[in-house]
Formats: sequence, structure tokens, C-alpha cells
Amino acid sequence: MPVKTSDIIFILTILVMSWLISFPMNEWFSETMPRHQILQLPAMLVLGIISGVRFSKHIIIGFAWGIAILIFILSSLIFWMLPHSIDYAVINTPFNRLMHVNMLISGFLLIPVLRNTLSEIKIIFLGMLSAMVIATGFTLLSYNLLLCSSFNIEQQKEAGLQLVIIGLTVFASTIFIFFRGAGRS
Amino acid sequence: MLQLNSIDIKKQRKFVLVWGITFLIVFPLLITLGLLMRLNQGEEIQLGMDRFYTLMTLHGLGMAGVLYSMAFAALWYLIGTRHTKLNLGLGYFVYFVVLLGVIGLAYATLIGKFGAGWYLLYPLPFKGTNWPAWSTGLSIVSLILLGVAWIIGILHVVYALAKEYGGLTNLLGWQYLGKKNVQRELPPIVMITTISLVPGLIAYLAGAVFLFMNLFQHFEPALSFDALLLKNLAFFFGHTLVNITLYCCIGWVYALLPEFTGREWKTNKVLVYSWNATFVFILFAYFHHLYMDFAQPLALQYAGQFASYLSAIPATAITMFGVITQLYHSKIKWGIIPLTFLIGVAGWAIGGFSAVVDSTIAINKVLHNTLWVPAHFHTYMLTGVVLFIFGFLFYLSHTKEEQEKDKTAKIGFWLFVIGAHCFIATFYTGGMNSIPRRYADYKGIPINSTHTTGALLAQIAAICIGLLLIGLFIMYGSIFNKLRKGKNIPMVPSTNT
Repeated sequence: MPVKTSDIIFILTILVMSWLISFPMNEWFSETMPRHQILQLPAMLVLGIISGVRFSKHIIIGFAWGIAILIFILSSLIFWMLPHSIDYAVINTPFNRLMHVNMLISGFLLIPVLRNTLSEIKIIFLGMLSAMVIATGFTLLSYNLLLCSSFNIEQQKEAGLQLVIIGLTVFASTIFIFFRGAGRS
Repeated sequence: MLQLNSIDIKKQRKFVLVWGITFLIVFPLLITLGLLMRLNQGEEIQLGMDRFYTLMTLHGLGMAGVLYSMAFAALWYLIGTRHTKLNLGLGYFVYFVVLLGVIGLAYATLIGKFGAGWYLLYPLPFKGTNWPAWSTGLSIVSLILLGVAWIIGILHVVYALAKEYGGLTNLLGWQYLGKKNVQRELPPIVMITTISLVPGLIAYLAGAVFLFMNLFQHFEPALSFDALLLKNLAFFFGHTLVNITLYCCIGWVYALLPEFTGREWKTNKVLVYSWNATFVFILFAYFHHLYMDFAQPLALQYAGQFASYLSAIPATAITMFGVITQLYHSKIKWGIIPLTFLIGVAGWAIGGFSAVVDSTIAINKVLHNTLWVPAHFHTYMLTGVVLFIFGFLFYLSHTKEEQEKDKTAKIGFWLFVIGAHCFIATFYTGGMNSIPRRYADYKGIPINSTHTTGALLAQIAAICIGLLLIGLFIMYGSIFNKLRKGKNIPMVPSTNT
């Protein structure tokens, strides 16, 4: 299959953006907790998703493998939301880059899985994702001691509140998508 | 009405029988755990505190899970053979994930000795435990698995129904509230299924958040959450789960009872208003579990009482009235199936009434930590949901004529009902005598009368459990006997579709 110029430009753009997020701007992202958790981590996931949308059209993933990949993605997200992981990622730059690679791969794999799976599985994935984000938000919001030594308590609370809002938004969107889809006969 | 060929019906029947047989295996085992607990409280055996709470945890989680699963499976069968096509592959997937979750829970409790109780009251699963941390982790993961499986099942049923009936508002029956003529009749079972399952989706979010927070705590022991927030999440999930189990069962009473009375049971404005009211209030009724939590905002405590009354009364009153109009002068032949439905509805009403009594703040102050609480939920579960399930299993195994003539089943049924109500009466009497709940035994209570009354009632309860087990196994004999002989096609479809 011949490689299109547009594909090369696309790959280069993704690579440059990943490099920007992971290298020159890493320090800026690591300065505050909301930037690290609510901007940097999702940004890498979104880059992976965009790549998946473009390049995974011909990738067929079976039902069982699809479930396994969704579990991998959810487990990855849980892992990178644990205070220990957040802390270590900020202190240790290579570990932070491992998170970036993990999120890129997760985002990339997410698209072919969701494309080939049942609507119910898509909805439950979004539901569990929102539950996880809300749970992380509550964790950061309700704990009055500093969980990540790299940040301060105000940032922790701010990140927590934003995560709760994002989680509730994702859940509301999930319900909306579900019933909109269900209403179409 | 959905037109399925006999092969598809057979496949759906086989699927629900798999659930049914699993239920019939697990259910008496879980009853035996209850029997052991009551024997321990009656000072007939010595389980030790650790084992008592392990058994209590497995009994609570197991019963809530198995009853909900069976109620849902029966609903799946009735919906899938009458109203919309359901994907059996997905059904089996749900079954195996539930099975995996149940095995995980059984292992965590029986081997790992996890004993934090069914709702994992925070921080009980983590602080000062006498079980290893892995059993807590395994319990949480198993519960997540169960939740995931149930949500997939719910999503599939609601999704398929919404496609069939043209959206959620139609499923909720709102087309009946306008002035236009209704284009397509909405069977009550479809509306009740939606009203049961959609709040379930919202409650499962709370359950998932709760479980993820517990999982975070498991991985990060240094964390410390707001215990009240976690209790709210746990009860929002748990209370709603139990309620939707009941409503799933009521759904099939609406579908199946007309087959025996020969009268239609149609959706109308009153039914829509009452069940839609339940749809809203069911979500807020759980606050009545937190009356003892002084830190809970006062307004929510009042909301709990109002919502409890408002969620119980419309659906119950309308269903009772519906059952009476179905039966009055109907010349029904009292076979085992309508009998289980009638006595099951009575159990639902009695349990519901004592729940509403307990949700009254002034009364709850006295009864909250007494045996009144297990009394009320055992009433609507054991003499409500379980009877509905047996009614459904008889429906699967017996023909209309067989169920009328089956004397063995009726003997088993009455032994079960008498045993169950006597068993529950020991709980109510315990509640009225201030016998505390969740005590492994009453030896440490310094008030002698409380100690002796508690132990005596537990001994009587154990005898009653023996009686209901005998009745249960007689009913088993009847069901398996008919299943062994084989009955391929279910009875006539509902008249109200």
C-alpha cells in the first residue's frame, strides 16, 4: 500500500505534538496538579485517539481481545490516577514519559475496539471511565492532607473539583448518547 | 407482539434455565449460611466472631446478587420472547462475568475471611481488619465485575426496548399523558422494566465510584476518605439495587397474572403517573438509611422520609388495586403459579409497609439498630422476591394444567411460606424487644432479658429455617420432576400485549 503524503504529515504532526507535550513543555505541565492531570494526561490520550481514528480503519479486533484491551486501558488510567504514580511521574521524568507512551497507545487502541464492539460495551466503558474520574476527583477533593508531595493542597483540591466536573460531564454525555442512540429505530 | 420461532424461544428458555438452575443451587447454600448465623446467635454452635461476620458478608452480598440476577434473567426471558429480540451471546457473557464475580466473592470471604458486611462500611474493610488485604482487593474487584455485568445486561435490555418502542419517553409511557390517541400499546412490563432499570444505571454509577474509591484505598493505604460520602454512595447503590430487584419481579406479575385470570392488564394514565413517580422518588429514598448519621444535612433526612413514602405508595397502591381487580370474581383456578404471585405480592406489601414504618424518623430512632431492619428486608425478599422467582420457575417447568394439579408443589409452597413468615416473625419480635442487629451473639449484652430473648428467638428462627428448607426442597422436587419430563414450549403468551 503506497504511503500518502498526507499520512506522513499527519504522523509528523502527532509526533511533534507528542514531543512538545512530553519534552519542552513537560516542565510547565508538571508545575501544577491540574495541568498535569487534566491537561497533559488527556492530551496524550487524545493524540492517541486522533491517530486511531485515522489509521485503525483496517484493524479488526475480536470481541474478547476488545474487552481485554478495554480492561488494559481502564487499568492504565487507574494506575496513572493513583497519588503515588502521579507523584513519581512528576519527580521522575522517564516515568512520566512512560505515562505518555501508555496514554498514546491506549488512545490509539481505543478506536478500533470501540468501532468493532457492541453499543452496550461502549456505553459501559464510558460509564466506568466517568466513575473512575469522579472517584479520583473525590479522592483529591476530600483528602485534607497533601497526597502528592510535588504539588500543594490548593492544587490538589482544584484538580479534584475539576475531575469531578469532568466525570459528571462524561457520565451525562454517556446517558445522552445512549438514549439518543436508543431512540433511533 | 414479537414473533419468535420455536428454536429462538427454546434458546431463550435454555438460557433462563441456566440462570434458574444456578439460582436453585446457590440459594439454599446461602440460606444455610443464614441458618448457621442464627444457630450461633442462639448459642447452639460456636462459629466465632470472625467466621460469623464472614458468613454474614457472603450471605448478604450473595443473596442481594443472586436474587437480582435471577429477577433480571426472568425479565430478560419475558422481554426477549415477547417484546423485543435480545442477544443471547451477550446474555451468556453477562452470566459468565456474574459467575466469575460470585466465585471471587466466595473465595474472598470463605478462604480470605473478608467480613466487612455487604455494604463495606468505610473504613471497615481497611482499618483493624483480621483478614488479609488481598481478600479486600478481591472482594472489590469481584463487585466491580458484578456491577459491570449487570450494567451490560441492563443497557442491552433498555437499548433493545427503546429501539422497539421508539425512545425512552415512549418506554416511560408519556404518550399516554397527551391528548392524542396512543398509536401502539405499551405493555406494563415494558414500562416497569424501564422504570426499574434506568434508575439502576444511575445507581450503578454511584456504586462504581464507591468501588473505585475503595480500590484506590486498597492500593494507597495512606488515603482517608469522607466516611459519610462513601456511606451515601454505598446506600444509593445498594438500596436502589434491592428496589429494582423487587420492581423487576412486579413487572412479570403484570405480564403473567392476566394469563391465569383471563383479564387484560393494560397501561393507562394512572399506571403511568404512579410508576413515573416511583421512577423519581426511588433515587432519593435511600436517605432513610442514614438517619443515624448526625453529620448528614438535616434537609436530606427529611427528604429521605418524604421520598420513602412517595416512592412506596403510588406503585404499591396501584399494583395492589390492579391485583385485586384482576382477581375479583375472575374464577381463577388457584394453581401454584397464581398462588406464588398472590402471596408474593402480600410479602412485598407487608415488607414494604414495615420498611415505610422504619423510614419514619420518629420510629427509626428506636428501631434502627434492632432486628426490625433484617425483618423488613427479609419480608419482601424471602416472601416477596423469592416467591415471585418460584412462580416464574413453575411457569417455566409446568403447563397450565400441571400447575393447577400439582399438589406436591403446593405442599412445599405452604411449608415454605409458613416457615418463612415464622422466621421473619422472630426478627420482628426481636426488633420490638430491642434485640440489636449485626451481633454475632448476645452473650456480651449485660441486660439479661435482652440476651435470653435474643438467643431464644434465634433458636426458634433456626427451626423455622429448617421448615422453609423442607418446603423449598419439596418445590425443587416438583420443578425438577417436570423439567426432567420436558416441557418445550412455554404457556400461552400474555393477554395484555
